[in-house]
Amino acid sequence: MNRVDTDVLILGAGGAGLFAALHAKKADPTLDVTIAVKGLLGKCGCTRMVQGGYNVALAPGDSVERHFMDTIEGGSWLNHQDLAWMLVSTAPARVRELENELGCFFDRNPDGTVHQKAFAGQTFDRTVHKGDLTGIEIVNRLAEQVWARDVRRLEEHRALAFIKTRAGDRLAGVLLADMRSGGFTLVRARAVLLATGGGPTMYRYHTPSGDKACDGMAMALRAGLALRDMEMVQFHPTGLLAGPDTRMTGTVLEEGLRGAGGWLTDRNGRRFMADYDTRGERATRDVVSRAIFAEIKRGVATPNGGVYLEMGHLGPDNVRRQFKGMVERCADCGFDLAGGRVEVIPTAHYMMGGVEFDTGCRTALAGLYAAGEDTGGVHGANRLGGNGVANSTVFGGIAGDAIARDLAGGGALAEPDEDALRAAVDAALAPFARPAGNIEAVREQLHDLMWEKVGIVRDAASLAAAGDALAALDATLDGIGVGGGRGFNLTWHDWLNLKNLVLVSRVIAAAASARENSRGAHWRSDFPRPGDLATSRYTRVTLDGPAIAVGTAPVVFSRVRPGESLVRGAAD
Amino acid sequence: MAEFSLPANSKVGTGTAHPAPAGAKKPKTFKIYRWNPDDKQNPRVDSYTIDLADCAPMVLDALIKIKNEIDPTLTFRRSCREGVCGSCAMNIDGTNTLACTKPIEEVDGDVAIYPLPHMPVIKDLVPDLTMAYTQLRAIEPWLKSESPPPDRERPQSQEERAKLDGMWECILCFCCTTSCPSYWWNGDRYLGPAILLQAYRWIADSRDEATGERLDALEDPFRLYRCHTIMNCTKTCPKGLNPAKAIAEIKKLMVARR
Repeated sequence: MNRVDTDVLILGAGGAGLFAALHAKKADPTLDVTIAVKGLLGKCGCTRMVQGGYNVALAPGDSVERHFMDTIEGGSWLNHQDLAWMLVSTAPARVRELENELGCFFDRNPDGTVHQKAFAGQTFDRTVHKGDLTGIEIVNRLAEQVWARDVRRLEEHRALAFIKTRAGDRLAGVLLADMRSGGFTLVRARAVLLATGGGPTMYRYHTPSGDKACDGMAMALRAGLALRDMEMVQFHPTGLLAGPDTRMTGTVLEEGLRGAGGWLTDRNGRRFMADYDTRGERATRDVVSRAIFAEIKRGVATPNGGVYLEMGHLGPDNVRRQFKGMVERCADCGFDLAGGRVEVIPTAHYMMGGVEFDTGCRTALAGLYAAGEDTGGVHGANRLGGNGVANSTVFGGIAGDAIARDLAGGGALAEPDEDALRAAVDAALAPFARPAGNIEAVREQLHDLMWEKVGIVRDAASLAAAGDALAALDATLDGIGVGGGRGFNLTWHDWLNLKNLVLVSRVIAAAASARENSRGAHWRSDFPRPGDLATSRYTRVTLDGPAIAVGTAPVVFSRVRPGESLVRGAAD
Repeated sequence: MAEFSLPANSKVGTGTAHPAPAGAKKPKTFKIYRWNPDDKQNPRVDSYTIDLADCAPMVLDALIKIKNEIDPTLTFRRSCREGVCGSCAMNIDGTNTLACTKPIEEVDGDVAIYPLPHMPVIKDLVPDLTMAYTQLRAIEPWLKSESPPPDRERPQSQEERAKLDGMWECILCFCCTTSCPSYWWNGDRYLGPAILLQAYRWIADSRDEATGERLDALEDPFRLYRCHTIMNCTKTCPKGLNPAKAIAEIKKLMVARR
């Protein structure tokens, strides 16, 4: 086994991981920083895929307090308020950093200032963007800055397990698989950042990239950490519906289309959103996704089983100019977004839940930090469009700062528990000892199961059935082997991905069973009311041996209580 | 008479043919380059016949189907599957493009799939991009400005911002670079169209104050001037960008400053 020692190991190379590397290096250039990533640095993960943009209170008339209240209301009062405050209050500095230090160039107003567009669920137009493909600009610039520095890159290395000390009191290192050679690498680090991103790819229709498999959350669970708010899986209302089989189905058509005045219509061309929410098409993602789901159930679905997104009334030339990337994406699949209409369906997009962490990105395991979609608490029950890339870049930077600060005060390398290391290697190699089988059949079953029973609308019976079926799928997977050698064996990684996805799916189902009310992205048809906001609790899931243990804890209203507002004159 | 020996692994053999499934309604054959560094064999081309009636429309869909249903050892890169990351860049039907946005229907007859040309191969369709990324690093693709940043964004006109359209959209898939005969011959010293497009992106950015320094670094018979306006780059770009024009703009600036 290859062994590497470093000061800081960062898992993941999206907005969170790259920002953390830059901030750690800036705080202390002598730190030895290593980034391990499942694909190529800058080419994998979801920050690159960001379309709409970045929420930040910059313009006169907007305020951090207003952004905060939108985030809390959008999150149905389940947010960890200090984390949400950290998000909105750090975002302005982070956007300036992106522009002035990293060289991002966002779209401009006629007076030369940064343009901010309309997104859903917000009381102010505050979404900074680069056309409708903002992520390319952010990740290209971040990656270049990382290349410019002396940062070790372990590309096409997947993280397999956190290895603690024998005493179990702190993290010693991380076991990685070198995907190209199939060999193993143990990286010992004084501090590790978990920033692999979530990615609900266990659902039939989903937006995240193909390499996403909830690896980080699964590793955290196995290391004994608690995940909060895991029932909160965001379905983006407008996933492209390009046909039943194509991988393109589920890719997202950005929220700015609704923000700019796009219509959602049924088979007969009737707009329906006003039936569900006074904000119409500009309601939050959870509301719109459920409305589309209800329309489909009502029997007015389009030929492929979705609804239409119509833009033509805004003028085809205007749409083509404003949403060039989206128009081209639809054209790739043979659809005319600018002049005609496109079939869409809600698609699994983001996980609000994740590892519990504090405002310094520290977790309950000494030596382990977390940032980005692997974490829970910032968004509560529903994430606002535009708060995702803000979250990863804000907390990635904070993590880098905190790690540098903490390491300045000590923190030596620790000895890993060699028995735990051996066990983790054995677990990863287990499928090679069994005859090769049909892994993809497991994935198909998982997709259908999660979509139908743990999807946009749930109830006690569907969730109980899902829990049993998921446990059975896990057992099935354990009986299936993988053939061929270990070098760049995609099928081996498919198996490892599925193992993680099934585990996290079980956690989602368990948390959804425990929440007997309907908040944000979580809708129980048997408990359709939100419950008392003032006594809100959030779910916490841990692994108890092979079993899933669910508890709850009270939400702390550290800055504002339900019924109050930080925006003057807004409380009612 | 001079004798030449071919470089290692340059002779490609014929591999296994996987026939169409019984009762296939719309059979289509994919001929795919295979090479595994671990088995010490020369590369080969395996052929796989699948039923398009039972396959989604893009070439990436077919590759995933082949891997999942016929040959789990097939290796390729893929990430976003929506034309944003550039991971699945490869040579399809003789043209460099992205497998995720290339419709199978656009290919007449059998679909030949090879890795990006003239790059070292890691395995099957996966190229080693180390050299290309090293060259990107060499042009120092980041904002250089001596002026202290304001405490807000640097103001810019919409016209100045629009100058970057057609460049910031580059996803660094290297389809253009690996389609360029000049790069094939002089890839060790010529930067190639993808990197030169990125170089011009910074030259054209009115916030950047290092234009002279950037032009100095490109003033070289190889780095810039191995471009002979063959135009393969612009023809092949899966994002519809025009690297050849960016290179021409750099050459114009070189002349203008003499």
